[in-house]
Amino acid sequence: MTNTMILSWVTFLYFGAFVFYLFCLVFRKEFWGKGAFYTVIGGLVAHTVGLLLRWQESYALGIGHAPLSNFYESLIFFAWAVVVLYVIVEWRIKNRSLGVFVLPVAFLLMAFASLAPNISDRIQPLVPALQSNWLTSHVVTCFMGYAAFTVAFAIGIMYFLRNIPLFGFIPEGDILDELLYQNTVLGFVFLTLGIMTGSVWAHYAWGSYWSWDPKETWSLITWLIYAVMLHARYVRGWKGKRMAVLAIIGFAAVLFTYLGVNYLPGLHSYLQS
Amino acid sequence: MTKQKNPFRSFFTSVYLTITLLVFTVVLSIIGTFIPQQDAARGFAQGMPPGLASFLQTMQVFDLFHSVWFFLLMLLLSLNLIVCSLNRWPLTWKQFRGAPSSGEEGLFRGLSPERIFLCDEDVGTMTGRIEGFLGRKYRKIGKTQEKEDAVIICGEKGRYSRFAVYVVHMSVQLLILGALMGAFWGWEGYVNIGEGEKADAIDLKGGKGTKALPFTIRCDKFMVSFYENGAPKTYRSDLTFLKDGKTIYQGPLLVNHPVSLEGVQVYQASYGSSPDGRASLAISRGGQEGKIIKVGPGESFSLPGKEGTVQIVRLEENLMQMGPAVKILVRSGQGEVSFWIFLHIDKIREMNPGVTEQVPMFNPALFKPYLFVLKGIEERYYTGLQVSRDPGAPLVAAAAVLMMVGLIGTFFSSHRRIWIKIQPAGEKTRISVAARTNKHPVVLEREVRQLTEQIKISLEKGST
Repeated sequence: MTNTMILSWVTFLYFGAFVFYLFCLVFRKEFWGKGAFYTVIGGLVAHTVGLLLRWQESYALGIGHAPLSNFYESLIFFAWAVVVLYVIVEWRIKNRSLGVFVLPVAFLLMAFASLAPNISDRIQPLVPALQSNWLTSHVVTCFMGYAAFTVAFAIGIMYFLRNIPLFGFIPEGDILDELLYQNTVLGFVFLTLGIMTGSVWAHYAWGSYWSWDPKETWSLITWLIYAVMLHARYVRGWKGKRMAVLAIIGFAAVLFTYLGVNYLPGLHSYLQS
Repeated sequence: MTKQKNPFRSFFTSVYLTITLLVFTVVLSIIGTFIPQQDAARGFAQGMPPGLASFLQTMQVFDLFHSVWFFLLMLLLSLNLIVCSLNRWPLTWKQFRGAPSSGEEGLFRGLSPERIFLCDEDVGTMTGRIEGFLGRKYRKIGKTQEKEDAVIICGEKGRYSRFAVYVVHMSVQLLILGALMGAFWGWEGYVNIGEGEKADAIDLKGGKGTKALPFTIRCDKFMVSFYENGAPKTYRSDLTFLKDGKTIYQGPLLVNHPVSLEGVQVYQASYGSSPDGRASLAISRGGQEGKIIKVGPGESFSLPGKEGTVQIVRLEENLMQMGPAVKILVRSGQGEVSFWIFLHIDKIREMNPGVTEQVPMFNPALFKPYLFVLKGIEERYYTGLQVSRDPGAPLVAAAAVLMMVGLIGTFFSSHRRIWIKIQPAGEKTRISVAARTNKHPVVLEREVRQLTEQIKISLEKGST
């Protein structure tokens, strides 16, 4: 299948971009920065082509559906959303230091999808419960949310590293604080939409908009953690280090919602593919 | 005037209470995902000392999300939200109603240097020009004459966004209310209906007994198709809903496409095949092919030569990994004899030569002079329906819409107010730009920068 081949090459492009970002910061030469940015753009274009091809190939197999239906496809889309968001942020703040922290995440997601032995990269047909237009809107909104939280997490990490002389390239605290807040808000809005579209879908497919399934419960936990974070900022004026800590805690909850719940006893077994 | 502090009110207006309640909800939810809940809890509790299990049962740990603790948390959160909203409302209302022109004292004091600049045009020209700029992006443009020939032009945007946060909190209230309504007056259960059969009651979830439905459901037909890998592709039931013997609705039911009738939702949840299918038996007498008869378990028929009767005793879809088989009992003048008839008898003989001689029970020609051949077993499917009623669902849906509107208003809009003071400064004219917002100072900063840039560019153009 062409798409999996393209997507495994994208993994290396993201790794290359990460190395170039490192060079850019170490040698302080714009040459490497430009190189890194163009590599990311090249990777993103190939990534998008890979996703579209996969979509088309699924139709050629007669089981056409958007490439958002199993674990492999979710990892690939997660990485795609992270990179899209990163490109927007770099373009807006005109600072490349975030790339050193975000690109490794995209690279790891792609590498995990391509290399983990128990993740099937085959295009699988959809069981009846997944045959719904809500699948696409639910997965897209959730992973856009996860991607924004991932970027916020990377900024939170940067916040703690910026006082170490080695990481002198990190922008000043106020810029990080604002960026962290903006990404958290974006993530929160998308997560809210993701939970809502999931509820509507559950209402049609499972007969109940909410059934306290571990995944649902953990998405609520994640939502509440970010709600606390936003209240702390709005009402108590929390900034800087405290927000960075909360962004890291929130991201841990995101990871648990995405991956951890698979190890918990759950009722919705037909979600496990 | 001294205001008496109401302890009830001050307790419920504290943000620490909100954050504590949210943290408690998080902790309780985490526990709820690590300890099996409801039906899953039964097996889990059996592995514990009975004392501990019954203690946890009493503490409602096995159904945390419907426990008193959870209701209490939601109730407190609700109260906290209401009191906070009421407490802040008068100030918000005042700010909302406030005249656009009124800024606080010292509005123009301590402005950063890039917000003050001089120009050659006179006050009148600049007033007209700035009014034009401001009018393009802002609303409620006002002009006030100040002392010493100074003019202040003001404009604002996003006044209604002050209500956005109330909309979000109202939506949370509505959500909690809808969820409570669902918990108290809603129900959820399952029923399996075989093809051609009817049901007028369901088994409630969590072993809470049965519930009579306001109508009868008849399953007319069930169909399922599979992918090549064996996973189900589609399945559907053709259902008829009857009330007092009359059809009130007839149509197919598919996964993801529930049927809603009299406030009750019916979902295609699962399916299965019932063990009471029908067997097609070909009977030959003395090598002479006979007719094929279809019989179900328990049914009997007479042998063509009137030697006796045959009854189907058992019908297995897969007997001892050897495929479908029926066990028949032949009653005749010689007594009773019973044996198995396999669908794949030829293959079984091939794999185990002489098996029908060694095991007479497996010999389809045991009752002479007859030979029974199983032509097939018709599977009879049953459809698994989930039936539920949730009077709170419309409220929850409304809450979701409200919440989205509120969140967008809260995060992406703010009440931005701009004042531009134009005053004579010797030969020149001094322009000062002041601005206030209720949130998102970075956004305001950007807008003010754009506006001042615009004014400065117009000055350069005007002077050349």
